[in-house]
Amino acid sequence: MNAVHGRYLHIDLSAGTATAYPLPEAVFARLIGGVGLASYLLDRFCPPGADPLGPENPLIFASSPFIGTGITTASKIALTAKSPQTGMIGDSLSSSYLALALKRTGYDALVITGQAPGWTVLAVDDGEIRLLPGSDLLGLDPAATADAVRAELGNSFRVAAIGVAGERGVRYASISNDGRLAGRTGPGAVMGSKRLKAIAVRGTQRLPAVADPRGVVRAARELAERSLGPDTAKYRELGTAANLAFFSRLGVLPTRNFQAGTFEAAEAISGERLFLEHRTDKHGCAACTIGCEHHYRTRDDGETVEVRLEYESLFALGSLCGVSDPNAVLRAAALCDRYGMDAISTGSTIAWAMECVERGVRLPGRPEEWPRFGDAEGLLRTIQAIGERRGLGDLLAEGSRRAAEIVGQGSVEWAMHVKGLELPGYDPRKLKAMALGFAVSTRGACHNRSSAYEVDFSDQLDPHAEALAWARAAARAEDRAAVLDSLTICKFLRHCFSDFFTEAAELFVRVTGLSMTAEELRLAGERINTVKKLFNIRQGWTRADDTLPPRLLSGEASGLTAAELDRLIQAYYRVRGWDEQGLVPPERLHELGLAELLRDDSRMMHGYAG
Amino acid sequence: MSTGTATVRVELFGTPQLLTGQRQVEVPGRTLHEIAGVLAQEFPVLAGPVIDPATGWLNGGYIFVVDGRFTRDASYPVGPESSVLLVSAQAGGAS
Ligand code: SF4
Repeated sequence: MNAVHGRYLHIDLSAGTATAYPLPEAVFARLIGGVGLASYLLDRFCPPGADPLGPENPLIFASSPFIGTGITTASKIALTAKSPQTGMIGDSLSSSYLALALKRTGYDALVITGQAPGWTVLAVDDGEIRLLPGSDLLGLDPAATADAVRAELGNSFRVAAIGVAGERGVRYASISNDGRLAGRTGPGAVMGSKRLKAIAVRGTQRLPAVADPRGVVRAARELAERSLGPDTAKYRELGTAANLAFFSRLGVLPTRNFQAGTFEAAEAISGERLFLEHRTDKHGCAACTIGCEHHYRTRDDGETVEVRLEYESLFALGSLCGVSDPNAVLRAAALCDRYGMDAISTGSTIAWAMECVERGVRLPGRPEEWPRFGDAEGLLRTIQAIGERRGLGDLLAEGSRRAAEIVGQGSVEWAMHVKGLELPGYDPRKLKAMALGFAVSTRGACHNRSSAYEVDFSDQLDPHAEALAWARAAARAEDRAAVLDSLTICKFLRHCFSDFFTEAAELFVRVTGLSMTAEELRLAGERINTVKKLFNIRQGWTRADDTLPPRLLSGEASGLTAAELDRLIQAYYRVRGWDEQGLVPPERLHELGLAELLRDDSRMMHGYAG
Repeated sequence: MSTGTATVRVELFGTPQLLTGQRQVEVPGRTLHEIAGVLAQEFPVLAGPVIDPATGWLNGGYIFVVDGRFTRDASYPVGPESSVLLVSAQAGGAS
């Protein structure tokens, strides 16, 4: 096949070695690349019961056939590891030059296992690796770390780095590269547990040729033109922050730890207001024609901060914590970036603590330092405490699920997570497909892996449609998301295809030379979701993990009850061909062509066999 | 449109709000198509970026929400009691 190298590099930090292994064509034919490839390698390398913060947990970076082809937005790198938040699959995507650099090394993926003897910078220079001392970089934020590493190694290296949160094992620490983040599920904590402060990658190899160069150029040009049309206008003009006021109006804006779906101060922190009063400029990832990254500046007497802001950071550090000062929200987002922490989990865990305070639940630390709803200073102070794992921050660095289990006093009732991953900014009580998507997602509460909100925010289904129709729509949305994440093209491009599976399959054929129909591509998405599910089952997933926080199932506000969610989940399992307990029968694995690919005796490796 | 058509309150979000500078407007119309046409007339800044001047209907990236229901059905009936929102059709994150 074309457009891939057909091999990956396994780096063992404990032994200081790097070994190349082949990647069979069947892996790309069945799982595409990107998140599909990274999930496959995680399944091969991570033993059941592995400690997410132990040396046996692999940290995997994977590229895809589309990277470097000129197809717009296709500069995304996929990361997987067993998540320190969920104990299940942790998969993230990050954009930009690092993805291109990795592909130019001559490898399709890096699998990093073990633990370095001391703080280290891993330099990957084509196929050569070097382990360089990293302790001088401790305490630096990710951007400063990258600058320091590039000053040392040269600007031809692209750098992924962690901040102080990753060094100190905050369970939702992120990895940053080129100003972008692999934020959710805590990959930065995994990287920190390996004593890796930074990974610097330089690739000088030729990119593998595509099968139909002219066809790819033509298709890439058409897609680039469409990417400038009305279907991406929102992202180009306003960015995702535009969701906030509208979501509040619809009653689906999580407010004060999901105690309400409407924020009375939504106008003050709306995307429209931010655009008029705080926006400075706009950026884009490498190889992207859309450019959705809007930057904003504080406009008050305090320290000036300029930061990229998305809807998810805006809701999590704004309405979810009851904070209505846009300057405070911008500072909070900048702090999350500086410490290297996922803004959703940060905001949500702080909102849990705020509700504890509101309800008189005792927390560690001094009461005058506890954060309260609407208290902007308290929000900023608590983010710093989490990043440094100080006082109350040490508890909150564990995430809302663990913190609630430690504190008790009934606080698990308002820990707003699924499988340990805090909910993003969609109140599922009024969004039926999203409710199902959150409950069954292998990653925990994630809107991006599920994408089921698209069903709710459209006229695809009658609100009174039967459970099976919701399940089919949610499964299809999930399969499409898996394909996008594996090809790897940006989800913001998805509406630029008039028939996504058909056009993306044609593009895949032109790039790789492999055959692929629309239905086969959808099936590849299902296969990828199944690989993730199988990983979770091996790590101890049970039927009880597919649920929503009790607060969302009370039947108030929407009528979403535990019984209704259960009906949706059962319908989803039927659509997937799973049994009533959500387990994948062996015959389904055969039908999907996964039985051979995931044979136990080909499971790697280096101490882990079956 | 016949005279005496009742006015409908339309709330604008995102780009339509920024272009018009209004969060809420009142326009006459009995269907969403009529509403879109009047919006393009009364707020010419919407014609092009949001509403196709040739068809008088929404561009691909936009959708109405009527009484909580998302729809791009141009013939969808509306009345003075309807809650009508005009929004961008996309949601979600990049990755
Ligand atoms: S649309 Fe935005 S997130 Fe997607 S590739 Fe472009 S700049 Fe990056």
